[in-house]
Amino acid sequence: MGITRGLVITVLFGIVLFLLIPAYVPRPRFIPGFAPPPDMWPRTVSMLGMALGILLVGLSFSRKTEVIADPEDASTIRGDTPLVTLLTRFGWTVLAFALFIGSVMLLGFLLSSILLLMAMLILTGYWRHKVVAAIVAVALPLVLYLFFSSALNTRFPVGSLFKAIGI
Amino acid sequence: MLNDLLVAFQAVATIENFLIMAAGIWGGVIIGAIPGMTGTMAVTLALPFTFYMQPIPSILLLVALYKGSTYGGSVSAILIKTPGTASAACTTLDGYPLAQQGKAGKALNMALYSSCTGDFISNLSLIFIAAPLALLALRIGPPEYFMLMIFALTTVAGVSGRSLLLGLVSACLGLLLATVGEDMYGSFRFDLTVDMQSGLAVAPVLIGLFAIPELLKIIVFRNNQSHKPMQLGDNRVTRDELRRSLKAMLKGSMIGVVMGAIPGIGPSAAAFSSYGEAQRSSKNRENFGKGELEGIAASESANNGCCGSTMIPLLALGVPGDVITGVMLGAFMIHGMTPGPMLFENNLHEVYMLFIGMLFSSVLLFGAGKATMRFFSHISRIPPGLMAPIVLALCVFGIFSISNSMYDVIVLLAMGIFGFFMFLFAIPAAPFLIAFILGPMLEENLRRALALSRGDPSILVSSPITWLFASLAIFVVVVTIRQQLKKAKV
Repeated sequence: MGITRGLVITVLFGIVLFLLIPAYVPRPRFIPGFAPPPDMWPRTVSMLGMALGILLVGLSFSRKTEVIADPEDASTIRGDTPLVTLLTRFGWTVLAFALFIGSVMLLGFLLSSILLLMAMLILTGYWRHKVVAAIVAVALPLVLYLFFSSALNTRFPVGSLFKAIGI
Repeated sequence: MLNDLLVAFQAVATIENFLIMAAGIWGGVIIGAIPGMTGTMAVTLALPFTFYMQPIPSILLLVALYKGSTYGGSVSAILIKTPGTASAACTTLDGYPLAQQGKAGKALNMALYSSCTGDFISNLSLIFIAAPLALLALRIGPPEYFMLMIFALTTVAGVSGRSLLLGLVSACLGLLLATVGEDMYGSFRFDLTVDMQSGLAVAPVLIGLFAIPELLKIIVFRNNQSHKPMQLGDNRVTRDELRRSLKAMLKGSMIGVVMGAIPGIGPSAAAFSSYGEAQRSSKNRENFGKGELEGIAASESANNGCCGSTMIPLLALGVPGDVITGVMLGAFMIHGMTPGPMLFENNLHEVYMLFIGMLFSSVLLFGAGKATMRFFSHISRIPPGLMAPIVLALCVFGIFSISNSMYDVIVLLAMGIFGFFMFLFAIPAAPFLIAFILGPMLEENLRRALALSRGDPSILVSSPITWLFASLAIFVVVVTIRQQLKKAKV
């Protein structure tokens, strides 16, 4: 775990330093006075992050220093559940988030959030209390929608589907 | 001065003013406790209503909303690990573990006592030491700000949990993410999409990092606990616990007063600095992060300690320190009062009325906190499997309403997934948040200082104030490294 973590951190900061900064942090041709350029700070932080990642990898190789880099065993976090099950549940959650974002423009914010809440209640396992879960899934977004619309004048997306049928 | 204060006391002590302040405190507490809604929102929304009010009651309403929401943020931080405000994120570190141990009422009580103490001391400082604090604030320039931010960042060490290295990695991630968007000279950095040119707002990052991973943990590592509600347990704070936390409370209040008086610092930096100091000097430092009442006392006293002192640069210099005091500046001007040195010449009576009103609001905060605590404590009875999706819905609606933008909602959900990965890799979230909040100020003041000195870095240690903050930072780092080495040997 310690080595994996160190490598992931090193690679992440490396991608930022060598790929993202050159592509997405401009260096103006003219910088007024002696002001540091815009990429100075991101570069400094990325280099520091890479150095820390490499240090974590290095410390993980020695048993004496391993405890500094790897304070807890991954299995204490994961427990006994098989990895495939954990990944499946995580995948479904990310899918639900992505579908919510994607459906807002089509179905509208209210309906999308009702569906999102239903999905989350199913995924947490609370859906076994069907009546309470169904009431919460429908009523809560509705109440929030009415509150934010009327009290805070928030304009939520209606959705192209509802616009098409004239609502 | 005493005579003027007594006259002001008589003017403020009316039923109408008490009702207005009580409404502000109650409204602030409830709004602050709702995830996704902030004190800034509450104050901004209330501003139009104050047009038709007298000057002082209108300012007192806004101040009461600010104070109430600052305390209210700690309620959701403790009960559902969703800080209502950035400064309450520090309270989450020990408040939520206490709630999980069935001591939610105890945590809420300690947060209330600390908030009221910090608030009261802050109000007294506003009344008696506003002038010297304002003069100190005037002497803080870019090099001093930079060193102060460095010192505040050393609290990363205190909230890193078991590994300082992982805490530093987390802080680097926070500093890096804070660079997204437009820099001080107008260059856009990491603008992978057009929306990213506006950077990442604090609210979606904060809530995404703390609240959404809890939902993901319940879903991914689903176990029997997700259907069992937390127990309320013993609500009282014993005399011994209060006595043990008193030192942290008083130090936190003073840290909040000093940092609140400096424009732009904000209660978050004060809360984390106070927390780090309390952990460093506590006999129970090993217990911090696992449900230590001193941790709650330190953070809450500091963040409410800012409430009164943040008015010092506003009143004395006409300089608003943050968005909320900026709104209050607007309220002053609407009612024909111009904050600044002349305010004390032209509107002295109104200023004293404001001071007295703020003292009253501290007492009202205590009453409102006690009255709402029983109701809020019952929230912990809701099973996590139901509570977490409810929190998600509140967050999504609240975050969308801030800027009417799906971009912020995307950031919220993305940060939630990111926060979950940080949890999997045992990388603590608190240092990330500190660095994310302080990073822009750190970078801006570094670049300004270097621009002023034409690239000479010695400007960063050129004044007594920079030496003070640099010395404090070095001291904290040395002490922390020694503690870590002792732990490693054991």
